[in-house]
Amino acid sequence: MELYDRYAGLAYAVAMRVLGDPGRAEDVVQEAFLKIWTNAAGFDPKKGSLRTWLITAVRNRSIDYLRGRGAHERQELDLQPDFASTSTHSDPWREVSLELERMAVREAVGSLPAEQRQAVQLAYFGGYSQSEIADMTHVPLSTVKGRMRLALEKLSSYLLGRGLYPTDSEASP
Amino acid sequence: MSDHEELESTVAAWVLGALEADEAASIRVHVEGCATCQQTAARLRRAAAALPLEVEEVSPPPRLRERVYVAAAAARASTVPSAPARRRVVPARRGWKPTASIPFGRLQALVAAATVVVALLIGLAAGNVVGRNSVPPAPVQVARYHLVGHGTLAGARGTVINLKVEGVALVDFSGLPPLAKGKVYQLWLITPGGHPDSGAVFVPDSNGGKVVLVGLPLTGYSQMAVTAEDAPNGSPTPSQQPELSGPLS
Repeated sequence: MELYDRYAGLAYAVAMRVLGDPGRAEDVVQEAFLKIWTNAAGFDPKKGSLRTWLITAVRNRSIDYLRGRGAHERQELDLQPDFASTSTHSDPWREVSLELERMAVREAVGSLPAEQRQAVQLAYFGGYSQSEIADMTHVPLSTVKGRMRLALEKLSSYLLGRGLYPTDSEASP
Repeated sequence: MSDHEELESTVAAWVLGALEADEAASIRVHVEGCATCQQTAARLRRAAAALPLEVEEVSPPPRLRERVYVAAAAARASTVPSAPARRRVVPARRGWKPTASIPFGRLQALVAAATVVVALLIGLAAGNVVGRNSVPPAPVQVARYHLVGHGTLAGARGTVINLKVEGVALVDFSGLPPLAKGKVYQLWLITPGGHPDSGAVFVPDSNGGKVVLVGLPLTGYSQMAVTAEDAPNGSPTPSQQPELSGPLS
């Protein structure tokens, strides 16, 4: 349960952010941890950290609940490498490092123009498609695409500039 | 704008999961064959993966830790290799037709695990660890039932483990078909008089499996059933005849 104690707060927070329903949030967090434990043999550290795997599972299942989608319709976010350690061992530095990363991400997201921030947040936490976002925000689809691209490029540059992400070559398995 | 530029401009939406299924399939094919877009996708994915870190942590309720613990034990047990399955045919009942069979070995494994979990929880609650020294084992109160599908759910099964001491039950589903858009599965507890109470709403994983925790004691209910209802909250009452059901006795 060490993994649970370490990441349950973040997992539950992401589920709550998407669903806004404590009961449903508990369900998806439970399911995500089960997924990790029952598929532990299939975990490939080269493809990313346990944290990313867990949080991606929480986000994807939360969106499924939110949109009432079956697994056959799901367009899941793929797991990708990140800089976080894949170890589950206790390490005080990792806790500090995680907090630093979170501060940097909040700062980076907060620095984005409001319309770019809104576009990525509606997609990631709301599960809306680019077409739905264009309709909701009353802008052309090409504008939504551009906002998403700019937001992620800025976020990438910001985090890379702080040494929080590997370069493309470092990230390749 | 060239075809490549058009596709490249969509990579960000793709890594954010913001494309419809057909659009996502198209861009996936393109990215697999385009080194430039592969680099772009990798870079943007790492940025997208950081987005959840902007959320302030929220402490989950303490009961969730216990739920996860119990469900993990049951799920692990369900994957334990067992002896060649023996099969038990369940007599048909009027209105509910559980005619298919259940791998008996898997049930044994599930029940054994549930027994251990219950005993462990009881031991922990008492400040003891089960099996230590001469502490006698706690009385075990576990019952198991099974749900059998028919009609459109003919391949679906459910194993109910009633943890009486905890006042909860686990239901290990398998073979559930994907849901139609806007639908969820809803689990019903039905009294002998035919009144249904909602026990849980859930969506199966991509393999048609799901371990559902029913946070209600099964006391006073005679049957369990599953229907497909409107997402996200299900229905106050079943909107259709259940095609996956079984007796709780």
